[in-house]
Amino acid sequence: MKFLRQTLAVAAKDLRSEIRGKEAVNASVSFALVILLLFSFAFDLEPEQIRDIAGGLLWLIFAFAGTLILNRSFARELVNDCLDTLLASPVSGAQLFFGKCLANYVLIIIVECISLPVFAIFYNVRLPQRLALLFLVMLLGTWGITVIGTLFSAMTVNLRLRELMLPTLIYPMLIPALVGAIELSRVLINGGPLAENMIWFRILVAFNVIFTILALALVEIVLVG
Amino acid sequence: MRLKIIVTLTAIAGLILAWDLGRIFLQVPDEANQGAIFRIIYFHVPAAITSFTGFYLAMFSSIGYLITKDLRLDSAAASINEVSLAFASITLCTGSIWGRIIWGIWWTWDPRLTSFFVCWLIYVGYFMLRRAVDDPTARARLSAVLSIFACVDIVLVWKSIEWFRTQHPGPVLEIRGGGGMAPGMEAPLWWNFLALLMLATALTLIRTRQQAMKLEIDALRRHVHAF
Amino acid sequence: MSPQNYTFMFYGFTVAWLIVIGYVISIALREKRLREELDRVKRMVEEGQQTRK
Repeated sequence: MKFLRQTLAVAAKDLRSEIRGKEAVNASVSFALVILLLFSFAFDLEPEQIRDIAGGLLWLIFAFAGTLILNRSFARELVNDCLDTLLASPVSGAQLFFGKCLANYVLIIIVECISLPVFAIFYNVRLPQRLALLFLVMLLGTWGITVIGTLFSAMTVNLRLRELMLPTLIYPMLIPALVGAIELSRVLINGGPLAENMIWFRILVAFNVIFTILALALVEIVLVG
Repeated sequence: MRLKIIVTLTAIAGLILAWDLGRIFLQVPDEANQGAIFRIIYFHVPAAITSFTGFYLAMFSSIGYLITKDLRLDSAAASINEVSLAFASITLCTGSIWGRIIWGIWWTWDPRLTSFFVCWLIYVGYFMLRRAVDDPTARARLSAVLSIFACVDIVLVWKSIEWFRTQHPGPVLEIRGGGGMAPGMEAPLWWNFLALLMLATALTLIRTRQQAMKLEIDALRRHVHAF
Repeated sequence: MSPQNYTFMFYGFTVAWLIVIGYVISIALREKRLREELDRVKRMVEEGQQTRK
């Protein structure tokens, strides 16, 4: 119970700070819109073809825009030695990490919820009636991105080329989650049979479970030593 | 003593490789479908297995570091990963050349090449991380965690890309593994694997010693500048 | 046994060996550099101890 309370305290702190400043979410949403624009130049496709690649485009946008938020996650604590203070506090490394995960998760979901309708409008993609399932896929996929991204944000926080290292390190690692999310989104947007694609649900869930446990186990080593 | 081990290993590895090369070129007949190019499998597959073995050995070495805090284990892990990355590069290049012959294209996103490329990228990231951290203890700690994550992830990457690619069968067939080989043709593969493993061990030992030297230099430097 | 196949097989083996040899050479160069550095720093330590005596 105490674990949860302190975790939620950390999460609330981050969310409050972000809601007051709105820097990361604004930057992230703007970046997502820019990518949507760039994709429109890169791909000039028929509507049916767009529906085919919609899953992939969507998750590329989510992954790129999410990285901006993840980068700031631990970087914002460097000012005024806040990170050292947090580490010295009674909050354990795992609680700090999990709280930041939750806060990042909420923020990235917000960015995704804004980007999804914009994507549908720009590319004339009719969102499926199974919107609830699509939202479930977003929730599962985003948790994978958040867990890996937050841990690597902790790892790279003290490095010189932090903004460069984080994407380079996490994107190869995220491939199972991204592939799973992309496939499921593609099937849902195209109205295909979901029953045949349950393997991707299993991969997403397995990815999330394995890496959440691994991250919680190792984050203390990353943060403190 | 150590130098003797290194030289012996290299010598034996060289002998086996030379003898195998002779066998591969002179005795093994051409494969029915692929012609002469298939002989590259005698380097491609052993290099792949060696590099994977290395990556997982390095993970155990990293875990050992996290438990014992002995920096030598971290040096060993980094050296093993470096040698494995070199062998992974060989795998990718030889695989690409093989593909050029068999499929007419230098690259294709088939499951094994793609997964291997992802693995390669992850370990390039590993070395970027090591370069970016100056403090040896922090570097050891962070790369140990990265190594553990990478090895767990590689399994998932492999499986997910395999399922992804078989759902979208491309215009090319997947590389047939060594399963369809006649018994006479398979032997040089395993001998080559042994030779490459010995070569990898020798290179790892050299690199580990170099890492230890580097640590000694850093320590002496601190000693000098302290007075 | 088309000649084209043989050419590419030759390329393949060459590439593999080039990578191995390149890597070994880079290791050897690093060894040389590290030894020089180590000698230099050891000399610095000795000089430091000399001047303090």
